[in-house]
Amino acid sequence: MSVLELPSTRAEAWRWADLGALSAAAAMAPVVRTEHEFLDLPGARLLFVDGVLDEAASTLGAVTFGEVAGSDHALGRHARAGWSLRLDSRTAADPVQIVHVATGAENHLAAEIVLADDAVGEVVETFVGAGWANRYTRTTLGRGARLMRSVRLLQPAGFVSLREEADIGEAASLVTTFLGAGGQGSRIDAQLNLTGEGAFAEYGGALLTSDTQAQECAVRVNHAQPNGSSRQVWRAVAAYRSRASLAAAVEVARHAQKTDGEQSLRGLLLHRTATVNLKPELEIFADDVKCAHGATVGELDQRALFYMQSRGIPRSRAQAILTHAFVADVLERIGNETVRAAFEGDADAWLDAAL
Amino acid sequence: MLKIENLHAEIDGKPILKGLSLTVNAGEIHAIMGPNGAGKSTLGYVLGGRPGYEVTEGSITFDGQDLLEMEPHERAAAGVFLGFQYPVEIPGVSNVQFLRESLNAQRGQRDEKPLSGAEFLKLARAEAARLEMDAEMLKRPVNVGFSGGEKKRNEMVQMGIISPKFAILDETDSGLDIDALRIVGDGINRIMRQPDKSVLLITHYQRLLDYVKPDVVHVLADGRITRTGGPELAQQLEREGYAEVAA
Repeated sequence: MSVLELPSTRAEAWRWADLGALSAAAAMAPVVRTEHEFLDLPGARLLFVDGVLDEAASTLGAVTFGEVAGSDHALGRHARAGWSLRLDSRTAADPVQIVHVATGAENHLAAEIVLADDAVGEVVETFVGAGWANRYTRTTLGRGARLMRSVRLLQPAGFVSLREEADIGEAASLVTTFLGAGGQGSRIDAQLNLTGEGAFAEYGGALLTSDTQAQECAVRVNHAQPNGSSRQVWRAVAAYRSRASLAAAVEVARHAQKTDGEQSLRGLLLHRTATVNLKPELEIFADDVKCAHGATVGELDQRALFYMQSRGIPRSRAQAILTHAFVADVLERIGNETVRAAFEGDADAWLDAAL
Repeated sequence: MLKIENLHAEIDGKPILKGLSLTVNAGEIHAIMGPNGAGKSTLGYVLGGRPGYEVTEGSITFDGQDLLEMEPHERAAAGVFLGFQYPVEIPGVSNVQFLRESLNAQRGQRDEKPLSGAEFLKLARAEAARLEMDAEMLKRPVNVGFSGGEKKRNEMVQMGIISPKFAILDETDSGLDIDALRIVGDGINRIMRQPDKSVLLITHYQRLLDYVKPDVVHVLADGRITRTGGPELAQQLEREGYAEVAA
C-alpha cells in the first residue's frame, strides 16, 4: 500500500494516529515467525500467519472463509477477504480463538461475525510478531444475540490497526475488551450502531504504552433506537516518552429516548515525559437521556505509594500494584475466567517490564 | 532501640524540627504531646522516610543502624511501623492483598519464608476479630469508604499482623469514639507492651493515655523537646495547657 493512500492527521479523527509508525511497520524486513500458544479453551482455533490461515495448526469449527462485504474506511477497505462466524438462532458456540502472527511487512484480513436471534458467541484474538497487521471486523447481532470479544495486542514491534463496525439489534449485547500490552503502535477504530431498541454495547480496554510507542482508540457509538445503553470504559497507562490517546464519542439520535450512555476515560502517567490524550464526545439530539462522561489524567498517588512502602512494600512493587488496580476494573469485564487470567497476566508482565 | 540526636528537618525549605533529641529504650512506651504545628507529625514522617521531608542535620539510629540511610520499605522490614494520622485510601487493592504483600515483602527482606494465602487469612481474621473489626472489611479495598474510626482500627489490625519492634502512632486516637478508643488502646497494649518492643505515641490529648500508660512523656514545641517527665506531665498538660507547660 502506498503511503499516499493513508489518511491525513490533519483530519480530526486521525489527529493522534501514529501513521509514521504504521508506514515503518509496513516496510519492516521479514522476521522469524514467533510461536504462540492457544489458551486452554474448547472450540475453534485459527492461526493466521501474515493473514494467511495455517491449516495444519487450525481447527475451524463453525468458521468459514470468503469475501466480507467491504468497508469504505480508510484502513478497513484494504481488508476484503477473511473468516466468517455465523451462528443460527438460539445456538451457543464454544469460544473461537484466533492468533495472528505477523512476520514483517503488511498483512490485511477481514472478518465477519453474524449472530442470529438469541445466538451466543465468544471470540478471543491475539496479535503477535512484527510488521503491520490490518484488520476489518464486521459484526451483526440479531435480536437478543450476545457476543463477547476479547482482543489483545502483544506484538513486540510493528503496528496493529483494527477497524470494527457493528450493528447491534434489539436487546442484543456486544461486550468487547481490548488490551494493548505489546511494543507495537496501534489504532482501534470503531463504529458501533445500536440499531435495535434496548441494545447494549460495552466497548473498552486498557492501552499500556512505553518507550516511544503510540497507541490509540477512536470509537463512535451511535444510539439509533430508544432504551439502549452503552459503556465505554478505557484506561491508558503511559511510560517514558510514549503516547496513549483515547477518543470516545456517543451519538444519540432524536428519538433514541431513555438512552443510558457512560464514558469513563482515565489516563495514568508513569513518567512526566509521557503523554495521554483524552477526548470524550457527546452529540445528543434526544431530550430524555442519561449520558455520564468522565475524563481524568494523573500520576500515581504519592501518598498511597508511601503508605505501601511504610508497610514494607518496595516502591517499584507498590507502583505495579497501584497500576494493576488502575487497569483491573477494565479487565474484570472479561467474563471468561481463563481469558481474563491470561489478559491480567499480560498486563502484569507489561508492568514488570515498564516499572 | 531508637536514638535521635539533634535532628533538624525541613519541608520545602521551611525548618520544622530544630534540634530534636530523644532516646527510646526497648520495653518503653513514650508519648509525645504538643500544640498544633509543633512538628509532631513531621517527626513521624521523618522516622518513616516520607519523601519531601529533608533531614538537614542530626542522626537517627535504630537498633544500631543508621535509619536515615534506609528506604521506607527497609525501615519497615527492620521493624519500624508508622501508624498514620490519615490512613490512605487505595481503590482497587483489597485489604487482604495489601496486608499479605506487606507482610511477605518484609519477610522476604528478612530471608523468611512467605506466608501462604491460607496461613495469612487465618492470621488476618484472628487479628481483625481481636480488634472487633468485621472480617468482611478485609476483602474491601484498603480504607475505601471506611469511617475515621474504622481506618484507625484497620491501622491496628495491620500493626497486629506485622507485629513490629517499634511503632510510631500518629494521632491514633483522633476520630475514635469511647468504645473504639478502648479497643484500640487494648490493642496497642496487647501487641506492643512487650519487653523487646517500644512505642512512640504522638497525641494531642490525655485521653488515649488513660488506656495506654506511657513510661515517659515529652512535650514537643517549636521543633524541639522542651520538657520530659513521667505520666504526671501529661496530666499537668491537660490541666494547664501547652502554653504554660511548654514554655
